[in-house]
Amino acid sequence: MQGKNKTLDTCINVLDILAKLFVILIMAFPFFWMISTALQTLKETISVPLTLWPAELQWVNFVEVFKKIDVLTYLRNSIIVCVSVVTLQFFVIVPCAYSLAKYDYKAKPLVFAMVLLGQMIPMQLTFLPVYFMFSKAGLINNYLSMILPFISNPFGIFMLRQYFMQVPTEIIEAAKMDNASELKVMFKIMVPMVKSALITIGLLSFISNWNNYFWALIMTNTDSVRTLPIGISLLKNAETLQRWNVIMAGNLLLVLPMLLLYIVASKKIRNAFVYSGIK
Amino acid sequence: MTKKTKAVKSDFAKAQRTEKIMGYMLALPAVALLLAFTVYPLFYMFYRSLYDGSIITKNPKFVGMENYLALVESKDFHQTLTNTAYYTLVTVGITMVLAVLIAVWLNGKRNRKVNDIAQTFLFTPHIISMVSVSTLFLWLMDSNNGLFNAVLTALGFEPYSFLASPDTALFSVCIVSIWKGLGYYVLLIMAALQNIPTNVYEAAEMDDTPKWRTFFKITLPMISPTILFVSVVAVISSFKVFDSISVMTGGGPVNATNTLVYYIYDYAYKYGKPGQACAAGMVLLLCVVVVTYVQFLVGKKRVHYQ
Amino acid sequence: MSSISLKNVKKMYGNDTVIEGLNLEIKDGSFTVLVGPSGCGKSTTLRMITGLETVTEGDVFIDGVRVNDVAPGKRDISMVFQNYALYPTMSVKENIEFGLINKKIPKEERERRIKEVCEVVGLTEYLGRMPANLSGGQRQRVALARAMVKEPKVFMMDEPLSNLDAKLRAAMRVELINMHKRMGTTFVYVTHDQVEAMSMADDIVLMHKGKIIQQSSPAELYHNPNCIYTAQFVGSPQTNIIDGHLPEEIKLGFRPEKIKFREMEKEEGITLDATIATREMLGSEIIYSLDTKYGVLMCKSDVDMPVDSEVKIGVAYKHMYLFGADTYRIEFTDELKETISSVFGGARND
Repeated sequence: MQGKNKTLDTCINVLDILAKLFVILIMAFPFFWMISTALQTLKETISVPLTLWPAELQWVNFVEVFKKIDVLTYLRNSIIVCVSVVTLQFFVIVPCAYSLAKYDYKAKPLVFAMVLLGQMIPMQLTFLPVYFMFSKAGLINNYLSMILPFISNPFGIFMLRQYFMQVPTEIIEAAKMDNASELKVMFKIMVPMVKSALITIGLLSFISNWNNYFWALIMTNTDSVRTLPIGISLLKNAETLQRWNVIMAGNLLLVLPMLLLYIVASKKIRNAFVYSGIK
Repeated sequence: MTKKTKAVKSDFAKAQRTEKIMGYMLALPAVALLLAFTVYPLFYMFYRSLYDGSIITKNPKFVGMENYLALVESKDFHQTLTNTAYYTLVTVGITMVLAVLIAVWLNGKRNRKVNDIAQTFLFTPHIISMVSVSTLFLWLMDSNNGLFNAVLTALGFEPYSFLASPDTALFSVCIVSIWKGLGYYVLLIMAALQNIPTNVYEAAEMDDTPKWRTFFKITLPMISPTILFVSVVAVISSFKVFDSISVMTGGGPVNATNTLVYYIYDYAYKYGKPGQACAAGMVLLLCVVVVTYVQFLVGKKRVHYQ
Repeated sequence: MSSISLKNVKKMYGNDTVIEGLNLEIKDGSFTVLVGPSGCGKSTTLRMITGLETVTEGDVFIDGVRVNDVAPGKRDISMVFQNYALYPTMSVKENIEFGLINKKIPKEERERRIKEVCEVVGLTEYLGRMPANLSGGQRQRVALARAMVKEPKVFMMDEPLSNLDAKLRAAMRVELINMHKRMGTTFVYVTHDQVEAMSMADDIVLMHKGKIIQQSSPAELYHNPNCIYTAQFVGSPQTNIIDGHLPEEIKLGFRPEKIKFREMEKEEGITLDATIATREMLGSEIIYSLDTKYGVLMCKSDVDMPVDSEVKIGVAYKHMYLFGADTYRIEFTDELKETISSVFGGARND
């Protein structure tokens, strides 16, 4: 009996591992295919049977990408937008969350309701009126139109508020007894205490802004201010004959920073998404 | 500094007064931005949905409910709604079933190291730009040289144009979303599974409960609040679908993959009918509000175990 | 010089008045303990002195200067919080230094003071640590050091020992008493624990429902309570009260430890018949509950008696307190002594 059970168990174990490897294959293979294609010659990409791995790595495909589109400009714009959003939001959401957590005033429920509304209403719903607004203000094709709407990050306010509420009021009082000003209490005492929340918020907002295609598509129509996702998507349209090796090379440029970030901080990123998903 | 005490006094009096308005002052920047980019646009969208005229028109004409009537009569719009519903049902349905099964599977005791790796890989697509994921699948699904067709041919089937055929285009787009989003939902459900106290399982083991019964009678009910909540999140994110449509099909072929947000975008920018686009936006708003309300009701009734 | 006085102070939260007409004098250099059950207003009083709570009406003076409008950080007061309220993101040294930097005290001066204080409280080797890596007792010391280093006029403590275990608490009590002696600064200390109050204070302010019931030295509070509330608050078990047997609703009180297991001479006191109902052995002494025809009386004694034994107990007149109908103390006149003697049969029955 014992022996039989054990063999059965080993069999299930092997099947279990195989099934899991199959899942891994499904998730990983497209990425492998992307990398492989990006390094193939045009001929290899259309040969039958398909080429699994190029005979010779075609780094020249990346050079082609730079020839086709102005990668550096797009990259610069992406960095400007991402860095601005991530840093500027800090000065908006920290005070708001602090005010919601530690102050009492009449309109507080209204402010909080607005934060919840902000979390509920997706940008895909409000883009048209916002476009009109920026259009009237002459801010289309301006970085501001890509930065401003993302600074009042409602999820960030919500999360920070939770964290601030957990800080004992006595610590704020101790600081008051120590003659610290309101701003000093906020930035010297409270902010360091919620550092992990700030990192989470920063990470999530960096990832979503880096990948943001929709908003940049709506708010811009000239290359000088367009961000990388738009640039890379144009690569496909710029071709009459689709050179998939060049297109994949271009997409790798967009994907790699996120992949590297994920490799470096996989656990942290997943925890951040868990928090944002469940609250 | 000769009148030090006096200065100190007025300082505090002022501080006490500002203490009251300090709450407002700190919230002000965020409130201003939220008003500008969330609250005001909703009102403006409704207002604009009652007017006609292109984006560049200086003085749009008031047309009342005409834009809404146009939507009601438009076959395209009906198709758009059906597509959005189909996309939502298929994507959310398949994602949720797979996510629950995979989460429970990967949460088990067997081969823990492989579980970790599998989870890491499952989540990867979620942080990648939808533009790249869509482009990648466009290439995989390519009718001439795509990998999928190569596999089909190798297995003796006819090559198939997944995205060029109206019958399969929308489902193909769904597949991309499922592949990209699955890991995220697995992650969320696994977090819920890990919150189930182990002594519940130990008690079940003491009662000699079969595994399938443990799953249906203990695991599933314990994570059902999370599943419902996460499903709502998935539904709303399905309503928002745009990037993959824009990159992969452009709403085609023959409107087969046109969904709400893409319709709004098309009508505003391509057809120059922002009034009608805003009317469609109001429909989307209604959908979001209804789903959120359902979430609210579910949340209220939500059973709290432990 | 750092006396504190509160004049006609009123505190309201919304429409609830928690403190009304409070007058309090805290003497310079005293160790004053505000004591009372939770919700009696002692913490609110302390917080009004610090400025963390505003005063709805009335005035707060420190050293004769009205401080109602002075910010908490500018009142020259230090405070030790119940949960210590250490800044968790700062090291021990940064915690102690924070207030000094805000006060713009020059670096050399800061270093000197920190060094001095840390030697006193024994934190020198922990200066670089974070609060999370300290034990409860060590955190308590950081909180004390942070308060001391500012060299304040007044030291405030809000239940600072309640988070420590019993052994450490006893040790800290002694240390705080020594600290007060050495520094000579005014200490204002809030606690709900009468033992803590009695052992540390040289002036106790007993509060109840937002009012000061009695303010006196510990000995005075014990020997000379001015009402039933005080008599019962101090001492354990509670002071016995016999009600309903004397005219004009006069109540008779005496402490459990004053009951003797012997009959009293007529001139000395009263004698009652009692049965021992329960017996709690505490080591050096035993607590009995006694059934008498006047109700259950508590007794603390070092005499060992078995349960159920029938005994004669005596209480001397000099240990009795009499309280009027309003529960306040009334004078023990010869006339009342006669009445008590006749009601309780002070004479031997044989």
